[in-house]
Amino acid sequence: MPEARKSARGSAKAFESQVSERGFDWVGKRLPNREAEMKAAGEIQYVDDLRMNGMLHAKLLLSPHAHARIKKIDTSKAEALPGVRALAHVFNTPRIAYNSAARFYLDASDFDMPKTEYIFDDTVRFVGDRVAAVAADDPFIAAAAVKLIEVEYELLPAAITLESALQGSSPQANPHGIDGTNLCGGRLAYGNANEEEVLTAIGSAARVFTDTFHTPRVHHGYIEPVCHIASYTRDGKLIVWTSSQNVFCFRDVLSTALNIPQSRIRVIKTVCGGAFGGKLEVMHEPVAAVLSMRTFKPVKLRLDRRETFSSTRCRHEGILTIKSGVSSDGTLIAQHVSSSLNTGAYAGSGPNTVGAQSGKMFILYRAEKMFYSGASYYTNTPSAGAMRGYGCPQITATRETHTDRIARELGMDPVEFRLRNVVRPHEKNCMGNDMHSALVAECILKGSREFAWKKRRLAAEKTREGKSRLGVGMDIAVHGNGWYPVYQDLTTVTIRLNNDGSATMLTGTHDLGNGSRTVLAQIAAEILTIPPKDIEVVEADTDVTPLDLGAQASRTTFIGGNATILAAKDLRDQLIEEASRALAAPADRLELESGWVIDREDPGRRCSFVDIIGAAQAGKRGDQRELASTKTFESKDAVDSYAAVFCEVEVNSETGAIKPLSIMSVHNSGKVINPLLFEGQVHGGIHMGLGYALSEEMRIDPETGKVTNPNLKAYRMLKAVDMPDIRVLTVEDPESAGPFGAKSIGECATDGVAGAVVNAVSHALGGAILDRIPLTAEYILSKLRR
Amino acid sequence: MDEQDRVVNFTVNGAPTSLRVRRAWTLLYVIRDVLGLTGTKYGCGAGDCGACKVLVDGKPRNSCVLPAYNVEACEITTIEGLQKSGELSILQRSFVEAGAIQCGFCSPGMIITGTALLATNPEPTEGEIREAFSNNLCRCTGYVKTVEAIQMAAARMAPLTGDSRHPHAKGSQGSGDA
Repeated sequence: MPEARKSARGSAKAFESQVSERGFDWVGKRLPNREAEMKAAGEIQYVDDLRMNGMLHAKLLLSPHAHARIKKIDTSKAEALPGVRALAHVFNTPRIAYNSAARFYLDASDFDMPKTEYIFDDTVRFVGDRVAAVAADDPFIAAAAVKLIEVEYELLPAAITLESALQGSSPQANPHGIDGTNLCGGRLAYGNANEEEVLTAIGSAARVFTDTFHTPRVHHGYIEPVCHIASYTRDGKLIVWTSSQNVFCFRDVLSTALNIPQSRIRVIKTVCGGAFGGKLEVMHEPVAAVLSMRTFKPVKLRLDRRETFSSTRCRHEGILTIKSGVSSDGTLIAQHVSSSLNTGAYAGSGPNTVGAQSGKMFILYRAEKMFYSGASYYTNTPSAGAMRGYGCPQITATRETHTDRIARELGMDPVEFRLRNVVRPHEKNCMGNDMHSALVAECILKGSREFAWKKRRLAAEKTREGKSRLGVGMDIAVHGNGWYPVYQDLTTVTIRLNNDGSATMLTGTHDLGNGSRTVLAQIAAEILTIPPKDIEVVEADTDVTPLDLGAQASRTTFIGGNATILAAKDLRDQLIEEASRALAAPADRLELESGWVIDREDPGRRCSFVDIIGAAQAGKRGDQRELASTKTFESKDAVDSYAAVFCEVEVNSETGAIKPLSIMSVHNSGKVINPLLFEGQVHGGIHMGLGYALSEEMRIDPETGKVTNPNLKAYRMLKAVDMPDIRVLTVEDPESAGPFGAKSIGECATDGVAGAVVNAVSHALGGAILDRIPLTAEYILSKLRR
Repeated sequence: MDEQDRVVNFTVNGAPTSLRVRRAWTLLYVIRDVLGLTGTKYGCGAGDCGACKVLVDGKPRNSCVLPAYNVEACEITTIEGLQKSGELSILQRSFVEAGAIQCGFCSPGMIITGTALLATNPEPTEGEIREAFSNNLCRCTGYVKTVEAIQMAAARMAPLTGDSRHPHAKGSQGSGDA
């Protein structure tokens, strides 16, 4: 890091300590999401609520086949329909390869970012793949027109299931598969020793355990369907409004796929009606753009719910095998994980999700030797992509159910086994990395106490014979704070002081409804002493805000918050410098207080922000200048957030039905900036994790490749009546690298839920080995009958 | 006039409305795309998620599956119709303060359902609240703060009696003896 930046960071951290010692005015406050009133009133506008003059409506024609070559497309009947304005398909659209999950413009690695997608291709690779699109005067005409498009297909052999795609004899789902197989990108394999050594260490331990676990393909289930508006004007400018998590990458991909310079593309993030990773990757924006380029009119493309299931993204289905060698006293000696993820028809984020999953291997448990080996595989099914947890829920459910089995077979309490083996703060993990404030053991201890773990566990064990059987289980989870040390991770924030002493902040941060704008305003308010309501936060617009790398990797509060501190502190220093001249007082005696700069030793000597800003612009004591600051934060700390999840369930031994009764999630996320929003994140994460464990699965017909439950009735997300009692606790030790001590919560909120539920159900079934989720009633009955 | 068109008369948020509607139009399409009231959301188009709920003669209905043909003489209230003179209703305010709103896409439908619940059952139990939301899906909140918002609103409305028991009365400041 350059010296200047290093010292700026050092002084920012020292300053943060001063602020926190003074006592917080805004950090730690339960402020409602700043968009909440507009949302409650029904007045805020999501992308589907935007209306533009002359706007056309688009509809996609989606493939009915899992794998087929398009021989011919006849659009004459569709074109003849009054009100149809444009048609696009592979034979009239530029065919330039891209990867919809691209992270950096220079991403070109065939290993982890293969470019396998086109706006339209001459081959369709899953039921729901794009074949053609129509833009028309209204959505009814567009829907009628796509039905009039005649397509001649040549059917190709398909690889539908992950199990079949793994076989060497399988048809290739995508020609980019390595060496004629379905391997996507490459296999990632690494550890702190070579694979043979790790397997040998496992084999020579006193006890050896092996388990294989299957995790399902699930959907994000955001309530706002995918929707985009693209408007291309005659001056060559393309503007895209979309409910996106990553506008700068969208600009990269649009620029690549359409061959338009980035200066002529503007991507604007609209108010987001839920994303959870599902709006991180470019979806159908290029199609809306192509249709607008042909008509010079704004084109809206909104998917219906069926299309939202078949033709967006989903979580990678996984099959993971884990082996552990354990000493007789319950010490984990060595561990090996082998993972296969289903990336669907296109590469997207497949290899990168494997990479993110691998990282979780080494930061939860201590062991002398650990090795991870994983890969993603193409299948002729809907593309997988980013989803809250990003590879972590799969490995956590696998490892944590395996961990419970080890404890059970050793006759140890699962809490005791974990306490013996988890990483400790500030120690080096097996890879030699500093574990920072990894307070996972404290989460376990606090949770087991507050949940009355032993008492409830014993009580549950007295219900093994009846119809209604109780089970109590727990697990632990970990998630990062941004990309460091795997990739660069930076963001830039600009804060300007307005003439009346209020402030406007420009940030590439994306608020997905979780309240990121509220949190960043609280952080800036703490330093500038301007109330959050007087700080505007302008988010994610490629022509307006500075660069950001998107709402992913649980990076928003950690990275965006740190950048906010740098810019706000710089502005504070500017205010004090100006005031020091005006008041003829030394700068180190001056402090900000509610819109004034005051002399600490003589509080009557003061200068208002308004006067300082005005004087600076007038050049009264130097150059004429605007008080504004733009600062880039670069992450140089690999920091992790931890959780311990405790759960009680009731299993009906006659029907196999599971009712979650209570769940407690204990989080080590450093200092919590906004507890109201923090709790909201955990509540939602628990909902998503419970669905993952109990009811959710995108079911794919193994013959046809069709999603058989593409609606919100059959795709069973939990309803209000299905939810257990929920408690959220924190172990709130500030993390020095975090903004005012904060660490992430978004993904850690969901990572550990499913494993805790499975362990509780296994407990209710007297220690049955459960090797897949969701735990459907049929599956539970099959275990009960044994 | 197309043979399949029909003139339908109804009120929306108190305003008498007369529209020529097509057979294919749902009430949701009329509300959002014809009348421009975009507070009511399209979430699934199948009556599964509740994001499109409006009050039809006081009852919460999924407007995405209700043919516009069928609302003759109905009184329709959308999310925009719950505020009065710019003031949010007690329930809308409770949703804000309880933190029940994250992405907010389900919120209009949730608030419509909650408004109907409190109108018929001013002191619902937690179970009754959860049951009332059996046709409203939320992906952000786990329903925790949604339930709290209803309880908060019920408590604020409880001291109010008779005419003052109005969704816009000033919550707990009202007197039981008013």
